[in-house]
Amino acid sequence: MSKVKEKIVNEYSLNLKKGDLAKEVEELSGVNLFGCYQCGTCSAGCPYVEEMDLTPDEVIRYIILDRKEVLNSKTIWLCSSCFTCAERCPRDINITKIMEALRQIILRKNIDKTKLTMLTKEEKEVIPQLAFVCLFRKNVG
Amino acid sequence: MPLKSYNKKMDHDLGIPLQDDYFYDDPEEIIERKSMPKLETTEKKLKELAKKGEKKVIDADVLIIGAGISGMQAALDIGDKGYKVVIIDKTSTIGGAMVKLDKTFPTNDCSICTAAPKMVELSRHPNIELITYADVNSLDGKPGNFKVNIWRKSKYVDPDKCTGCDDCAEVCPVEVVNPFDEKLSTRKAIYIEFPQAVPIVYTIDYDNCIGCGSCDRVCEPEAISFLEKSEEIEVNVGSVIVATGFEVFEPTEMRKEYGYGKYDNVITALQFERLLSSFGPTEGKVFRPSDRKKPKSIGWIQCVGSRSEQLGFPYCSRVCCMYATKEASIAKEANPDIDITIYYMDIRAYGKDFQQYYDHAKDLGVKYVRGRPSSVYENPDKSITVRYKDTLTGKIEENTVDMLVLSTAIKPNKDNKRLGGALGIDVDENGFFKQDSLLTDPIQSSRKGIFLAGCIQGPKDIPDSVSMASGAAAKAVAPIKDREKHIGKEFPPEKDVSNEKPRIGVFICHCGKNIANYLDVEKVTEETKKLPNVELAEHWMFVCSEDSCKKIKEAVKEKGLNRVIVAACSPRTHGGLFQDTLMEAGLNKYLFEMANIRNHCSWVHSDDWDAATKKAIDLVRSSVAKTRHLESLTEEEFSIYPKALIIGGGVSGMKAALALADMGIKSIILEKESNLGGRLNHLHSMFPSDTKAEDIINPMIKNITKNKLITVMTNSELNELDGYIGNYKGKVKQKGKIKEIEFGTIIVATGFKEIDLDGEYQYGKNKNIMSQTELETKLKNNDLKEPKNVVIINCAGAMDKKRPYCCRVGCGVSIKNAKLIAQKYPKSKVYLLYRDMRVFGKDEEEYYADVLKNYHVTTIRYPGDNKPEVSLDRKNPKDGPVTVKVHDDILNEDMTLPADLLVLTVNTEGGSETEKLKNMLKVPVDAAGFFIETHAKIKPLDFSTSGVYMCGAAHYPKNLVDAIAQAEGAASRAAIPIAQEKMKGEGIVSHVIEDKCRGCGTCEMACAYSAIELVPHSRDPARLVAKVNRALCKGCGSCAAACLNSAIEQKGYNSKQINLMISALLDEEAGR
Repeated sequence: MSKVKEKIVNEYSLNLKKGDLAKEVEELSGVNLFGCYQCGTCSAGCPYVEEMDLTPDEVIRYIILDRKEVLNSKTIWLCSSCFTCAERCPRDINITKIMEALRQIILRKNIDKTKLTMLTKEEKEVIPQLAFVCLFRKNVG
Repeated sequence: MPLKSYNKKMDHDLGIPLQDDYFYDDPEEIIERKSMPKLETTEKKLKELAKKGEKKVIDADVLIIGAGISGMQAALDIGDKGYKVVIIDKTSTIGGAMVKLDKTFPTNDCSICTAAPKMVELSRHPNIELITYADVNSLDGKPGNFKVNIWRKSKYVDPDKCTGCDDCAEVCPVEVVNPFDEKLSTRKAIYIEFPQAVPIVYTIDYDNCIGCGSCDRVCEPEAISFLEKSEEIEVNVGSVIVATGFEVFEPTEMRKEYGYGKYDNVITALQFERLLSSFGPTEGKVFRPSDRKKPKSIGWIQCVGSRSEQLGFPYCSRVCCMYATKEASIAKEANPDIDITIYYMDIRAYGKDFQQYYDHAKDLGVKYVRGRPSSVYENPDKSITVRYKDTLTGKIEENTVDMLVLSTAIKPNKDNKRLGGALGIDVDENGFFKQDSLLTDPIQSSRKGIFLAGCIQGPKDIPDSVSMASGAAAKAVAPIKDREKHIGKEFPPEKDVSNEKPRIGVFICHCGKNIANYLDVEKVTEETKKLPNVELAEHWMFVCSEDSCKKIKEAVKEKGLNRVIVAACSPRTHGGLFQDTLMEAGLNKYLFEMANIRNHCSWVHSDDWDAATKKAIDLVRSSVAKTRHLESLTEEEFSIYPKALIIGGGVSGMKAALALADMGIKSIILEKESNLGGRLNHLHSMFPSDTKAEDIINPMIKNITKNKLITVMTNSELNELDGYIGNYKGKVKQKGKIKEIEFGTIIVATGFKEIDLDGEYQYGKNKNIMSQTELETKLKNNDLKEPKNVVIINCAGAMDKKRPYCCRVGCGVSIKNAKLIAQKYPKSKVYLLYRDMRVFGKDEEEYYADVLKNYHVTTIRYPGDNKPEVSLDRKNPKDGPVTVKVHDDILNEDMTLPADLLVLTVNTEGGSETEKLKNMLKVPVDAAGFFIETHAKIKPLDFSTSGVYMCGAAHYPKNLVDAIAQAEGAASRAAIPIAQEKMKGEGIVSHVIEDKCRGCGTCEMACAYSAIELVPHSRDPARLVAKVNRALCKGCGSCAAACLNSAIEQKGYNSKQINLMISALLDEEAGR
């Protein structure tokens, strides 16, 4: 009964073994998220939470329960890295870094990569500059 | 316009503290100043004094630093044993933090009403010297011979002359923020902390006094003396107890997001407590600070600064869940329309009756929301909006409240590091004092001869602090046990009043606002004055205050009073205090009567001023009617057999025996099993330090067998008990033989047992399903095969309709065992199913966080009304794996977990011999089979039957630290009668009128205390008559009521007195 409805990537294609998700996240972020008390402080303070399918505390819960569909959640891409959650977390868990780690897991698999040459001239005229910057920064990782 | 350019201050020639602060433009700056002088200045003065050689020396046995409830309890326990105590406090009064509270959970007892008698008792105790406004500078020497340097700051008021009249404070022009009211009000630069302060002597606040001399001019007794100097006092003692208490976290620097200090209507819980208090800034009315209007909605945020690895403290503050529940239910009970929400992470209602208290609050309509708010903001109408995620519904929500209360953390005293340095004892990384060994000696500090009590080693509630203080008293007596004892109090000789006409003094109490706000005390006084034989009738703010007691004594002398009535509260709590006052005034203590116009009148008729006033007049009149016929009574003195009996040889029993032996007192341990150790024999290790159970009990058993003062009787049970405090005779059944033993006091340490689950969670049907104890025995014996999936279910048989209570230790045990399994079998997956994670206090919370982080135990919170379901394997129900279906509260979905090991944290109940002991000792037991103490807060170790005490899990399940502290505390309590060697019985006893008695024996059967037997008549030996054992008689009056021939009279309550009381109560004329 997952709250993640979308299927952008096939999480099973990521070669994550059972129980590996938390390990991978910890390795990438340097954050031990098992100390989470599920108090919801991060979610209540998140400025984007209304748009998210999983609230930040649910993201952590999913990782702890080894539910890989968390990689398909909108949340990790909506996170604007404002650090409000990390600032207020009583357990000193840097949730912002965890979000980044989840993004990295996908990005490092080179799925959904955009090349400048693939875009048409019309698209280039419509898409704002900022979007280009974001698009390519994403690839740099 | 005051001058800002006023030059730097200089001390006046006469030593009058002159301060320039008063000349600042902004009065805020005056109130911001610290209230205590800096230490450097005192040290400098000390050196100067030392040069001059001015020094006061006091020789005593024990020094106690800090006179809060813990310090007071320790002082009384030691003083009662006959040793001299010096107790000091940093503030100008005693009482500590407890007196700031309005009521105490879970009994809703008025806090000051339970603390004040102790404060007065302390100040009147012949063995206790009280030094207030003082601090420790240094300590030298070794156990048995410490030399402590104390700096007593001058109050600039002569304590012998000050009457506490408040005239000085009225004229003082300086307003200072009042730290006693948590900065919600102001006080003057000459002040007392609160109306019931002990000693009731005003203090000039050195830092804020401007030296204008107004107080000096108005003081009639000329008590102000600017010339009085601070002094150095040298105290020579054998041991030291540190009980300096705690501070409360102020979320101004850390946890700013809750707006404390920025928004007017955000206050701390201690501030709310002051608002509720009858002698607080609003006299008990809850107002919003911004506009002094009644709030329509209040919110509480829990764990502000607690359970925080960043911007706070890593430990749990242990009391906040319950005090928030208490404050919320008091507010809700006073005004049912008020909307109350408490935002929490886990509700830690872990103690005796706590869970029921929490359930009661929910029934009252207090809303509990699981979710920690992220931030709050203020609206234009000064209300506060809280933004939170309700983690049980998953919704992000906002709620606007009129007032927001922050349940802030308990933190160590700022001064701890300095004090630790001065005393040479260690402080931990948080700033609390370190125990020598957490699990075996929690009261011992890191230096021999110095002991710890109360919140200085971590947050604690009142009963745990009090138990520990008694424990510290036991330990502190050990190094000085052979010193000379001073028992009893010298009273002036008693005046014979039997031939005098009754001259009655009536003192009517306001009890703050408890009485005076609901009835007309002045009218009661006027009406009382009109009654015959009443020489004097007065009404005072607090008749129980030290100052009032002094005034009673004076009145007895001046007006020649020979009988006294206090119209106030219950004699149960305050009777003894006034009786002492009478004895000090040279009157027999039974020439005293109390009219309860608070509990019986103002509290129950708070909505009807006129009727309450009339009833109070009636009550006082009827008391006067009885008092006219009061007689002097005598008390029987009896000796105490110097040995204690300890029932139960578990850790608690053993620790109690060792503590008694350290005080030089003999004891017998009765153990029903074949060896000592109790439950710990079956356990693997103990949380929160993972010490092996055998490493705890084996050294103890060794010490006990070595000790000549301790007799151990294994395979033994108490079969019969005869006698009373000081003189017990028991028959013990040991291996079929009956042995007779004699002892003076009894400690019950019978522990607890796991309940019978009755097949719940398929318990008993599958070999992979076991209780925590069974699991530990398996772990201990290395008898567990590697499980793949482990599921632990907490609260099995707890907090439901049948057993509404929490077992207090289950969460800690389950965490510890989860860790043990994870350590031993790293490949196993461990799921812990819980309702609220109740790992309360310091150490336990950190232990829990560590297990989560490093052992990756998956916790799943399940709702109380949707418990996990266990189903057995169809093919192999007895030995096969099981499946657990659980509803995850956080994700709001059902989960199915396979388990090849299912561990149930089973609820507990009183030990198996409870029922038998209950009847033998004549003591009460609650529905769960745990023994009931005299007072849940301040007498947690005593039974109402004197001479019988309890400790450990017989009182309620406990972790090892609390059990040991309690055991040593019970030892201290049980040692008091033995140390005193002699005791006095009741004066109010039954009296048989031999000529009327027919010797029918009805009274003998009616007596619950076996105090009556039939003996031959003194003049006519052929006839049998009843005889009362005056040491055993409790004065209950059952015999007098049962006697068919009115041959038994209850002294102090005889038929004539009672009849007169009743007619005076019903008829005004009869009362004249």
